[in-house]
Amino acid sequence: MKIDAILDEAAAEGRRTLLEYEAEKIFSEAGIPVAPGRLAVSAEDAAAAAAEIGYPVVMKIMSAQIVHKSDAGGVKVGLKTGKEVEAAWKEIVANAAAYDPEASIRGVLVQKMISVPDGREVIVGASTDPQFGPIVMFGLGGIFVEVLKDVAFRVAPVSREEALRQIRSIRTFPILEGMRGAGPIDFEALADLISRVSRLMLEHPRISELDANPVLVDGRGARALDARIILA
Amino acid sequence: MSVDLKALHDEIDPFFYPRGVAVIGASRKDKKVGHTVLKSLIDGGEFPRPGLRGFDGGIYPVNPGEKEILGLACYPSVLDAPGPVDVAVFCVPGPAVAGAMKECGRKGVKGAVILTAGFGEAGESGKKLQEEFMVVAREYGIRVIGPNCLGSLYPPGNLNASFGITLPFSGPVALFSQSGALVDCIIDWSIDEKYGFSAVVSYGNKADLDVPDFLAWAAHNDYTRAIALYIEGVSDGRRFLEVASEVSKIKPIVALKAGRSAKGTKAVSSHTGSLSGSYAVYRGVFSQAGVILADNLTELLSISRALAHQPLMKGRRVAIVTNGGACGVMCTDYCQEVGLELPDPSPECIKRLDGTGLLHPAWSRGNPFDIVGDAGPDRYRAVLEEVMSSDRYDGVIVIQTLQAVTDNLGDARAVVETARKYAKPTLAAFMGGMISAEGIQYLADHDIPNFFDVKAAAYTMKALADYGEYRLRA
Repeated sequence: MKIDAILDEAAAEGRRTLLEYEAEKIFSEAGIPVAPGRLAVSAEDAAAAAAEIGYPVVMKIMSAQIVHKSDAGGVKVGLKTGKEVEAAWKEIVANAAAYDPEASIRGVLVQKMISVPDGREVIVGASTDPQFGPIVMFGLGGIFVEVLKDVAFRVAPVSREEALRQIRSIRTFPILEGMRGAGPIDFEALADLISRVSRLMLEHPRISELDANPVLVDGRGARALDARIILA
Repeated sequence: MSVDLKALHDEIDPFFYPRGVAVIGASRKDKKVGHTVLKSLIDGGEFPRPGLRGFDGGIYPVNPGEKEILGLACYPSVLDAPGPVDVAVFCVPGPAVAGAMKECGRKGVKGAVILTAGFGEAGESGKKLQEEFMVVAREYGIRVIGPNCLGSLYPPGNLNASFGITLPFSGPVALFSQSGALVDCIIDWSIDEKYGFSAVVSYGNKADLDVPDFLAWAAHNDYTRAIALYIEGVSDGRRFLEVASEVSKIKPIVALKAGRSAKGTKAVSSHTGSLSGSYAVYRGVFSQAGVILADNLTELLSISRALAHQPLMKGRRVAIVTNGGACGVMCTDYCQEVGLELPDPSPECIKRLDGTGLLHPAWSRGNPFDIVGDAGPDRYRAVLEEVMSSDRYDGVIVIQTLQAVTDNLGDARAVVETARKYAKPTLAAFMGGMISAEGIQYLADHDIPNFFDVKAAAYTMKALADYGEYRLRA
């Protein structure tokens, strides 16, 4: 129900691309782990949010008109105190206004900054194939996706067992099994995340594409650090 | 939702077991499709091959302008055919199909094979013609193969309802192809190769029957033990996935998918969109459905045949037995490349083999089992007995390099004998030609796939392992 409410609101406003905090709320509702965070609507609210979440935090501008947040100077990372957060708020909002004076700013997403020593970045995405309907893609993040196109697809629904086979089928799978002191990732958690993404796609045909990129996975879990949802 | 494969099979089966076949638009003129089809029904094909026979059910040429063609009475309408007609092969121009279809409906025809081109593939007017005859076909419950296809061939019934060159030999592989031209090439190739088919269907525009329907039919066809597919695309992806997943639990499907390069530019707004070129998606779908993906035509045919003849593989552990070091090493490389495991023999096994006194002192005592160049049939048999009977191995690749002392027929006999005794998936790489011909022929006669190149043997073994894995989990 909550998912539908978010989709309804975006549709009513004529937005095809959801804001990141909306997409993350949908992920959460669907049982897909995301980095803890919330939308802040003022500098003070941002500092309060950071205190609730715990430092360090990342802050990102939330505006339907600003797709490339970094280009707009709308992202700040590694903020460690309330003072830094309040300063970052002002800077982000000023940058956004300078970047696009017409942009309507919903607020700033304050998000826990997560870094784990043995973490590996993967991508889980979904789209709607003209022949097969909702499909789910999995691959390693970064250059593995962009240059090597080392990804594997499955048609939704994807069971956890099928997701495990999907994970194992990419060429760079050994990186997930462990290397250079890093142990194996939490395959069950990653498979569960993929399976949940596939069900989200099936249960909400209004979603035409989504990306969880990156998903940070280590030995004890997997969570989406960025989320993108596009409506049909 | 679950599919009733048997019900689908029964609906399509009349195409392969008709009591009578009519040729709508039979022609007296040589080289016309309506002539070739009639000749193919009567003789089995336009081109002869050893043992070729024609269809022995009723054959009824239909053409209002002719009294007799190729010695058969010709009828003005299918309604005038004196016996029952279950299948009608259409060779008439597009605009005449719907009318003739109506007569077929009244005659009680169950299946229409429409060879004529110029329908769905030829713009709006063609699409309209296709819709016209489909309305009639649905009204009378007639199932349709085509249009714009080569037709269907059923070697076990000596039935060539196509303008394909000739009936291939009867065998365990059912071939369904979106391309008709490819079918002719494959049939021509298959004759010398003694490669047999349970059915060959070129399905063209798939106005009605599509790949999933043929898969369901093949799943319950007694002659078919493996299914080979050439596809460019499927019309209903979800149905394909659903049916193929079920059929794969009964019989192996091998597919060659054309169109690997990225298709036209669709507006993409995310990584996933830009990466979902259809070939990558098909790879995933095939994997999900237990369908084995063939890289090329040679693989499509050799893997299908191997799957048809070899027992189900229960794991990925392979023993390589070779009388040549280099080929054992190459085969090892390829096996590793495709994720096959090559466990070494147990100390007991090595001790037993040493105890036979048959092995060369310098044999490898590991996997690959390099039994040295002077190996004869006794040595092959001793090692094959060990690996075939061992729980350590799920499949065996036997390599024979031809050396001056090699007894290729004796070695082939040892392979066939032990593979049969233990019913273990076995592939051979008897690497030679003229001088090894006897052994190679003996392997072929006993359904042991043989490869000149160990790479093909390794890749085929991988296909057996992949299919075995699907069956074990499904």
